[in-house]
Amino acid sequence: MNAQFKKGVLELCVLVLLDRKDCYGYEMVDEISKNISISEGTIYPLLKRLRKDKMVISYLKESQDGPPRKYYQITDVGKEKKEGLVAEWDEFSTGVNDLVHEKLMNNLGDIKDE
Amino acid sequence: MNKDEYIEELNKLLKKLPKEEKADIISDYEEHFMIGIEKGRTEEEISEALGNPKNLAKQIKAEYMLRKAEDKQSAGSVFEAALAAAGLGIFNLIFVAVPAMLLVAILLTLFVLGGAMVFGGIYVTLVTVLKLILPQYNFYITTYNGVLGSLGGILYGIGLTILGLALLAVLVYVTKWIYGLALRYLKWNLRVIEGKKRS
Repeated sequence: MNAQFKKGVLELCVLVLLDRKDCYGYEMVDEISKNISISEGTIYPLLKRLRKDKMVISYLKESQDGPPRKYYQITDVGKEKKEGLVAEWDEFSTGVNDLVHEKLMNNLGDIKDE
Repeated sequence: MNKDEYIEELNKLLKKLPKEEKADIISDYEEHFMIGIEKGRTEEEISEALGNPKNLAKQIKAEYMLRKAEDKQSAGSVFEAALAAAGLGIFNLIFVAVPAMLLVAILLTLFVLGGAMVFGGIYVTLVTVLKLILPQYNFYITTYNGVLGSLGGILYGIGLTILGLALLAVLVYVTKWIYGLALRYLKWNLRVIEGKKRS
């Protein structure tokens, strides 16, 4: 898939994941990478910005198998932002889907006519 | 690239950032490597997946400059942020930089004009008053003579000062507005660039 295309949705993905539960950076990368291929390093600058914009907060939490990890938690501001982004995404993806399918039907129609 | 090489490279590329900021960023990537290794990936695999450190450093620097520009409102910091964003190759420098410079030039000219009007107005007022008090001195500039003429001169001077002040006030407002717009635009650019795949 076009790299340009995925750029804007990383913020959406991160906020959606954090809305489900608190995560550490690696966990989110892992989860997102299962579905779309991303350049994993870019998530940390994004998290830093989200924290600066008060959409998430971070805290350290002990882990069983190593040193404490930096966890992120979504704030009310972040939740509000997430709702907006999800709505935007739904509208966008349905719009594109409709267009793609309509185009497909037209093409089929053209082929039949020939 | 193994972990140490990757971290070292990132450290080198980010040397211009303040120490604390850099340490905070580096610790995120160290943690990432550590957890990755725990989960059974090799250091090379993790480096590869993290993406080219050069691209990463560009993005980190652009984010940092933008945050600085937001915290400390100055033309210099916005310029730095714009430059850092341009380093990401998001937008064509010519299409953004030239109009931006033109705009700055126009604003500067108007500021100078406003300042000149204020000072000119004060000058005309003072000289006219002085000429009334000390008619023996020749001040060259003003042609306002007699009581009526002097009154006209003073009114003209005060009017000019007020106009100049009004112009400056409007300019400050417009400049603030443009500054906010520039920041919003840069921010939008960064949002679009995030998640950029390694090239």
